Amino acid sequence: MLGSLLLYGCTIPNTPQDLLGPTDAQLKIRSIQTRTFEVKDRNAAIRGVVASLQDLGFIIERANEPLGLVTAARFAEPNYYDVVSVTVTVRQDTKDRLTIRANAIYNNKPIADPKVYQNFFASLERSLFLTKE
Amino acid sequence: MRMGVCLASLTLLAGCVTHTEPAELFQLTAETPKRRAMQTRFFETPNEKELLSASAAVLQDLGFQVEESVREVGFLRATKERSAREYGQYIQRALFLVLSLGKLLNPVDLHQKIAAGLITRPLNQDATKQEVRIVFYRIVWKGDGQTDRQYIPPGQQYMEMIRDPDIYQQFFAKLSKAVFLEAHTL
Repeated sequence: MLGSLLLYGCTIPNTPQDLLGPTDAQLKIRSIQTRTFEVKDRNAAIRGVVASLQDLGFIIERANEPLGLVTAARFAEPNYYDVVSVTVTVRQDTKDRLTIRANAIYNNKPIADPKVYQNFFASLERSLFLTKE
Repeated sequence: MRMGVCLASLTLLAGCVTHTEPAELFQLTAETPKRRAMQTRFFETPNEKELLSASAAVLQDLGFQVEESVREVGFLRATKERSAREYGQYIQRALFLVLSLGKLLNPVDLHQKIAAGLITRPLNQDATKQEVRIVFYRIVWKGDGQTDRQYIPPGQQYMEMIRDPDIYQQFFAKLSKAVFLEAHTL
């Protein structure tokens, strides 16, 4: 009896038609997560991403040069219960311009706060600028 | 009395949990340059590959297993697993047990995984100078314990960054010997 009641609670609502279509929220978050840089050297940009993540206290977990992918994580110090992980992709747009996108997750929940990405890109800019010197 | 001790230890525990806003975690702090200096050395060599393989060799000498390596971005990740038992924790555990009149059996650290993330990077256009940055951290697994009648199963884990300058100095001393080059601080 109890089991069937519990099952009732799980009834799936009708699937909306535009489930996989782009939503405004998606477009907004994509623009928050993306920046374009006037940088020619893609490899140096990836290394810049790694360096700025290290500066921010992240532990680099994975890197993939051909795909321009860097994955890193850190604990929300001073506590060690909350985890922030971030995936950064570096893509060459044109010969002298590339796009960097960062996706940050706080305890398995995507971060939509623009401030987080502003801070990340600010430190990335510093690191890219230092690399160029 | 017993209640008091339990409550006091609970408030102490609760006091330790502070939440940091994600935005703050993406900001450079006053500690950043100090930590970077501790974790980084540069070498006057154009050979990044040599530096990376020498780093892997030093980590192997220190008992690490290399788990991941990406030559194109100069990245290495290595780990080693060791016992994390500490004498002091057992004394503390016994003390807590007596103070709480047999109600609180604190879990102690049993096992740890020490990990290192290493990055090499050319410092200038002609790549005659290379930077090596290493970050050590550890993950610790705890044994079982008990509070009041509630059993705490083993396997709780926590992580900490290793920020003892000696460990970094030792690593770079070994690396500089391995590549026959002087390790310069930033």
